[in-house]
Amino acid sequence: MSDSGPEREPSGRGAEMVWSIIGTLVAGVLAWGGIGWLLDQWLGTRYLVAVGIVVGMAGAFYLIIKRYGSS
Amino acid sequence: MKVPTLLLAEREGFQAPGIEIFQWPDIVHLEVAGIDLSINRVVLQMFLVVLLVWGLFYFAFRRPRLVPSGLQNVMESVVDFVRGQIVLEVIGRDGLRFLPYLTTLFVFVFFGNLGGVIPPVFFPLNGRMALPAIMAVCSLLLFVSVGISQQGFGHYFRNALFPPGIPWPIYVLLTPIEFISTFVVRPVTLAIRLLANMIAGHLILSVFFVAAGYMLTSLNISMLFGVGALIFSVALIAFELFVAGLQAYVFTILSAVYIAGALEPEH
Repeated sequence: MSDSGPEREPSGRGAEMVWSIIGTLVAGVLAWGGIGWLLDQWLGTRYLVAVGIVVGMAGAFYLIIKRYGSS
Repeated sequence: MKVPTLLLAEREGFQAPGIEIFQWPDIVHLEVAGIDLSINRVVLQMFLVVLLVWGLFYFAFRRPRLVPSGLQNVMESVVDFVRGQIVLEVIGRDGLRFLPYLTTLFVFVFFGNLGGVIPPVFFPLNGRMALPAIMAVCSLLLFVSVGISQQGFGHYFRNALFPPGIPWPIYVLLTPIEFISTFVVRPVTLAIRLLANMIAGHLILSVFFVAAGYMLTSLNISMLFGVGALIFSVALIAFELFVAGLQAYVFTILSAVYIAGALEPEH
């Protein structure tokens, strides 16, 4: 069995990293796009959903670079 | 004006199967307190898969022997696979207490998918949203409760929502993203990845088999294409078999990854 010996650093994070990056991008767009959409409904404007999507994208990129950029 | 009418006739003749092949009529109509609990073919198939998975584990490990043989051998290698390739690989020794959940998940998802290529069932259980959604919610509840019990309520949510090493004004920007990504996108993608793969596979198989049947019975030159389509559909069955295993593996390994993330905070 391969699980003997000292505890290894868990690997198998490569695929998870890809999914996590995609997930973060989608979440950024959803979260801030959603906030923008809500503000649009509230204020009666129409452009805040687009602003929110861009802001969310930027935030997601920042988060991804912060998390995976150094490695 | 002969050609267009011919084309029109052709188009009327072949009806490609669409999303309606995922809808089954109720066998038993049942409604309790306004909630639809009707039983259709998919529900029956689900009961059968539950019974099958239960039976496999029960009969394999009812009287376990030191030197396994037959069914015990097969099921031990399945457990060993989840243990070695998923739990130890992704979580480490600390994750062995989640081995029962992850093994059950793997086997159940696999047999749920397998229905898509097994005659005469030919329907992937996970091609309906209900099961992937419930299993994704189970994984969500599990990794959140693991995080809370392992790190404490405040600590877990602080780690999940406020990634360390970031100047605090930016949290206004990042915390909503982290919240959506951890507690919404994770389970939703988990469920949709499985569902979409099964829907796509079932649709492709159905289109190919229906088309092969249509062309083979057409009594003209397109019979030749029918032979090709038939051969290709058999190859597609093998491919769907591969996808059934792969998606069960992906669902399980991502659940394990989320549990691992809840066990140890990010560094």
